Amino acid sequence: MRNALVGGIIVVVVAVLVWAGIHNVKARRAAEADAKNHQMTITVDKPGATASMDSPVADLRGKPAAIFTLTSNTGKRISLNDYKGKPVLLNFWATWCTPCKVEMPWFEEFQKKYAAQGLQVVGINEDEDAKSPEIQAQIKKVLENTGVDYTILMSDQKVGDAYGGLDVLPATFYIDRNGKIVAQAIGLAPKEEAEANIQKIVAGS
Amino acid sequence: MRSIATGLNALRLAAAVIGLLLVGLKPAHTQSMNVGQPTAAKKGHVDFIADGQSIAANQPATVKLHFRVDPGFHINSHSPKSDVLIPTRLTVAMLPGDPEVTNVDFPAGEPFSFAFEPKQKLDVYQGDVVLTAHLKAKPGQHSLKAELYYQACDHAACYPPKKLPIEQPYTAK
Repeated sequence: MRNALVGGIIVVVVAVLVWAGIHNVKARRAAEADAKNHQMTITVDKPGATASMDSPVADLRGKPAAIFTLTSNTGKRISLNDYKGKPVLLNFWATWCTPCKVEMPWFEEFQKKYAAQGLQVVGINEDEDAKSPEIQAQIKKVLENTGVDYTILMSDQKVGDAYGGLDVLPATFYIDRNGKIVAQAIGLAPKEEAEANIQKIVAGS
Repeated sequence: MRSIATGLNALRLAAAVIGLLLVGLKPAHTQSMNVGQPTAAKKGHVDFIADGQSIAANQPATVKLHFRVDPGFHINSHSPKSDVLIPTRLTVAMLPGDPEVTNVDFPAGEPFSFAFEPKQKLDVYQGDVVLTAHLKAKPGQHSLKAELYYQACDHAACYPPKKLPIEQPYTAK
């Protein structure tokens, strides 16, 4: 009788151990997957490093890129829809942002390097009062100094909200041919990382 | 009797093991919280630190304005070495009857270069920054109201220009 009771209890304990072990492994895998989904390209710390990130920044990866229509620095009305079917690198910048001016020549280089795959680099200038002659002159000077020839649009101060309410620059979104945001970089990311993200969105050409 | 006691002991052991297992499950779930999700509230990276100050009445005097830039951040000095950078400025609000602020001295900046752009020498404020307001006040309690305009960056990103309203009380004797 006693042996049967003890034996039964041991069987129950072993069964619970096995169940708990399986449950624990599943829970850990789910937690790791969840953590991976929430990670962003914001933690590199070397020349060309990313920001401190003490502001909440929305993770837009996997989401459709918000459509906008803005005026370019040459006066043309341009919509994100104009680039339908093409991979787009969308970069928010301002004249007062030194890290922005570091990566702009890289983007110009990538625009040429991946032109055959249809890459479109689009910069959105976030300077306040960008219509004033003084800021216009500064924008022109920065574009000349950085050698930028890709499309530059002037922000309406609302487009940033559609991309997570940006309170930090530079901010770059990598949009694939289906209009989905595949990667994002808040703050200056290393050049190799930017190119790796470009290769993700030009893939499948 | 002995077999019942042994059975109870075995049950207690089983309950303890199950309890430990259930407790052990929880961290696996909570470890995923907030990974890659900064949660701190937005802030300007510069604080104003008001303190009690006394000055001599009816003669030229100075009131100090103490600011602190968050560690790891910098703001451009009053004279940044580039015309596309936004200098730190102070706008004093003077109502009728307020002591007239005749001048505000800004400290010299310190040289700074981003790691990714070592050749470019910037002129910035970091840590504690003290501005000096020159004024002449009648005896009594006063308050210097102003607004600091600045633009902050950290080691890899920059933040839009911000305005920080301040109020520095002082007593003229």
